[in-house]
Amino acid sequence: MPSIITARNVCFKYTHTQVLKDICFEVQKGDYVGVIGPNGGGKTTLLKLILGLEKGKGEMCLFSTPVERFKDWQKVGYLAQKTTLAQSRFPISVEEVVLMGLSFDAAHKEATAENLQKVYHALSLTHTLDLAKRIFGHLSVGQQQRVLLARALVSRPQLLILDEPSSALDAASRDMFFGLLGELNQKQGVTILLITHDTSEVGKYISKFMYVDKELVFYGDKEAFCRSQKVAEKLGRFAQHTIDHLHNQGHCPLGCSCEHGPQAGGKHD
Amino acid sequence: MISEFLSYGFVQRGLLAGSLVALVCAVLGVFLVLKRLSLIGDGLSHVCLTGVALGLLTQTSPLYMSVPVVLLSSLGILKIMDKIKIYGDAAIGIVSAGGLALGILITALAGGFNADLFGFLFGSILSVGRVEVFWCAALWTALLLFLLLFYRDLLAASFDEAFAHTRGIAVKRLNACLIVFTSVAVVLAFKVVGIFLISAFLILPPVTALLLARTFKQVLCLSAAVALVSVWSGVFLSFVFNIPSGATIILVNIFFLLAAYLFSRLGHFLKSGEENAD
Repeated sequence: MPSIITARNVCFKYTHTQVLKDICFEVQKGDYVGVIGPNGGGKTTLLKLILGLEKGKGEMCLFSTPVERFKDWQKVGYLAQKTTLAQSRFPISVEEVVLMGLSFDAAHKEATAENLQKVYHALSLTHTLDLAKRIFGHLSVGQQQRVLLARALVSRPQLLILDEPSSALDAASRDMFFGLLGELNQKQGVTILLITHDTSEVGKYISKFMYVDKELVFYGDKEAFCRSQKVAEKLGRFAQHTIDHLHNQGHCPLGCSCEHGPQAGGKHD
Repeated sequence: MISEFLSYGFVQRGLLAGSLVALVCAVLGVFLVLKRLSLIGDGLSHVCLTGVALGLLTQTSPLYMSVPVVLLSSLGILKIMDKIKIYGDAAIGIVSAGGLALGILITALAGGFNADLFGFLFGSILSVGRVEVFWCAALWTALLLFLLLFYRDLLAASFDEAFAHTRGIAVKRLNACLIVFTSVAVVLAFKVVGIFLISAFLILPPVTALLLARTFKQVLCLSAAVALVSVWSGVFLSFVFNIPSGATIILVNIFFLLAAYLFSRLGHFLKSGEENAD
């Protein structure tokens, strides 16, 4: 399997605070990775390091190229955490926002008929085609988030990196959102790296979990995650009790296919 | 009266230089306001004082002395934001306070304030020379070329820097270019409106345009138009009533801002009335 993201001994410090230490992992083509961990554990920083938005120590590669030299940005789609970028006075239409997703080279920057066709296709995927001519800042936060997903998808990326994308969405939009991501992963083989706190909702789609808390506590498939003693210690007694209880009833909250809960399965770390 | 007003060489030079500086500031200001760096004009204008004081101390042109001082300071603001990870307003405040303090110290060493320094503090559009007019024209031409070449990249970087980076856009270089343009514009503007009023040139026309325009291109054009009309009517009024030109230009700008606000509120009021009727 070709490697899409490779991290080798990645460390990151903010002035004197160690944010991430000695991170090593490899994401392969077709993986759907859920990145979880406590607030302030370094998840968003890890995504920024992957995208080259922050520079740390160690080696971070995208599609086998060190991120500092990476040029094929059309292969990557990125959706940031809900931010305050949506200035209500920013004079830009939804159409123009999505067109930005194509601005990786000169030929794709302008609003040509071909480019607009791609924009409308991406908007239809996220059910926002009717918003195309509206001013972006006038939309609700949930609508803005769906438009930004369209922007991430418009270049037909091979890798999607998403930072808590569902935080502003209502239940129906969340179903549409995760259903679409699942389809892209399963039918088109798009590799997905997703930061989420909503493990039970996305658990059925995800193939691997990554638990980050200043260091890489766990990285592996769902079955191993459910039985990991390290994860159990990090999640705490209450969360682990819930997982155990549901396991005993035959319903893993993460949708894993393991037959036994953590106690029965023993230590898998 | 208008033909008499326009027949004077100093008025022609003042109007030309004022118009060019206003156009540059109005266009740059749109990006600075949207990036929440609009007070950079205010901060750099304080740093200008150091350049002016150095010029007066060394008997060299304050204009030429200010350019490198302001350039270094503006790049210093970017470095402070990047390395110390603090917000732009705090970085601007640090450099501004330092520049002002250094300027006052040098002025004191040079023997205190004098008439020249007050001229730079409050501006005098009607005393602009041919050299300043040439530099204003060169700066406007360079800015237009820069905009034509990098319009889409600038739009993307102003809207969402992180995403623009993931499209391969050199965001840091674009920001550095904007800051360099702003530095040169601030130095040229201090002759026209004075260092205390420069930030108004960078903020008022863009904010006025943002109240009315619906697209980014409209904002750029409207901001430039507001700035241009403000300079012309401000200079004319200052000539007619014999009042300070810099202050008059700014007050005309504020008048346009209030008019734009009232117009946009009226638009919302009429729109909501139509929706209720439907």
